[in-house]
Amino acid sequence: MLVLGLESSAHTFGAGISDGGKILANEKAMYKIGATGMIPAEVAETHVENAEGVISAALEKAGILPSDLEGICYTAGPGMGPCLQVAQIAARALASKLKIRIVGVNHCVAHAEITREMGRLSDPIMLYVSGGNSQILALSERPFRHYSVIGETFDIGVGNMLDNFARAANLFPAWGSSVEKASAGGRYLELPYTVKGMDFSFTGLLTRATELTGKVPVNDLSYSVQETAFSELCEATERAILLKGKKEIGVCGGVAQNSRLRQMLQSMASEQGIRFGFAPNEYNADNGGMIAFAGERLLSEGISWKLGECRISQRYRVDSAYVPGG
Amino acid sequence: MKLIAKGAEACIYSLSAFGKEFVLKRRERKDYRVPELDLRLRAERTRSEARTMLRLHAIGVRVPGLIALGKFSICMEKLEGMLLKDTQKTGGIFTEVGKALALMHDNGTVHGDLTPANVMICNSLPYLIDFGLSSFTNGAEDKAMDLLLMKRAVSSRLYKSLEEAYLTNSRTGKEVILRLADVEKRGRYQNRNLE
Repeated sequence: MLVLGLESSAHTFGAGISDGGKILANEKAMYKIGATGMIPAEVAETHVENAEGVISAALEKAGILPSDLEGICYTAGPGMGPCLQVAQIAARALASKLKIRIVGVNHCVAHAEITREMGRLSDPIMLYVSGGNSQILALSERPFRHYSVIGETFDIGVGNMLDNFARAANLFPAWGSSVEKASAGGRYLELPYTVKGMDFSFTGLLTRATELTGKVPVNDLSYSVQETAFSELCEATERAILLKGKKEIGVCGGVAQNSRLRQMLQSMASEQGIRFGFAPNEYNADNGGMIAFAGERLLSEGISWKLGECRISQRYRVDSAYVPGG
Repeated sequence: MKLIAKGAEACIYSLSAFGKEFVLKRRERKDYRVPELDLRLRAERTRSEARTMLRLHAIGVRVPGLIALGKFSICMEKLEGMLLKDTQKTGGIFTEVGKALALMHDNGTVHGDLTPANVMICNSLPYLIDFGLSSFTNGAEDKAMDLLLMKRAVSSRLYKSLEEAYLTNSRTGKEVILRLADVEKRGRYQNRNLE
């Protein structure tokens, strides 16, 4: 089934096309994050400007016409309200014009599902790490098939923490990959470490690291922030693996692009004698391809939304979303 | 020394000395984290666990007796029994767990990971084990988390026995139960099932 997926929950407007689980196109345009971070209304404006171009580029890449589309889907949440609206409105307009079925997709489910597919995982403990979210997920069949939350951040997402630290330390551009670059050759400094069972926290770490900026070498600090935060994630994930008796680990979301985090998870998986998998980076960053992929599965099971009922929800919980298949 | 169990952060060995059986819990090195952080976490947690065991023993909460303490390991008395998760669960046992928890909380100690896997049944009496995540605090939130973990892990009938005993025996029981209702309202815990 030829399906177009639209994503605009944060700084990326993405359009992807999926057909029978194969991604034919995955185009995107990103809002440039400056010194002030993301102002939702401004980001949404940029998405409006980029939407048409990105969608056209995706259709062209897939070599299809809009009239070939059989279904359309969009990110219904979680995310920033004004940003989510852009993909929702574009999807509704197209569905109405083309008279095809439409469905909203949970952003976290899309990340986890594309990673399960491309990382060749069947029933993993999935560490989902991005700017707004940091959760440990596992598939659960009751009362309906969904990702249940085994562990979660008490406060902010690990990506948000890295971005904030990058801004405080004057790293440019102010996001996680700059922290990763700056960490080369660093030495370890003691920073607050908080894990409670399978939950974790990053605000204490961020506050202390921000206080230390300018007082200690930036590469030592970047290195220590990464090591501390990722160790928290690994410890909580390892506990989840043992509790649930799972044989696979996956990592997804924007921070899954970090090679040190992957290395640590690989080391833990090897020690436990289990498999570790992840998707190519293009699918760890926000993208429309994963929305098309997850949405196509919903539509193939006959699940779609009426045009008038196409909602968005800033706080769309991952564990309230149905996961197709099984 | 014989390995009898392997947890997320520690290995449990059984060993015999002076004609008696003991248990040794050793926090193992994790290769994924840098040595500085690894040494710090293992040493801190071992010390904190030993401190909690001593304090609980002193106030009369049933815990394994502490025999010897190393930098990353604790040698303790071996309890002959089964984990609560593997035995027939009765209201009577949960009443006893509720009493123990009340005594522990009133003395400013929280367990931090209270599940049926961390209660050992020995001569029909519950012993609390595994204090790796315990802390010394009088915060209602931390105490409520102890109750919440157990509530999520067992049937509502068994939990009821625990909560009733807890309320009767703890000075701050009412405040903690009220906070528990608060914690449960937060979205993040609504669908959580830890089995």
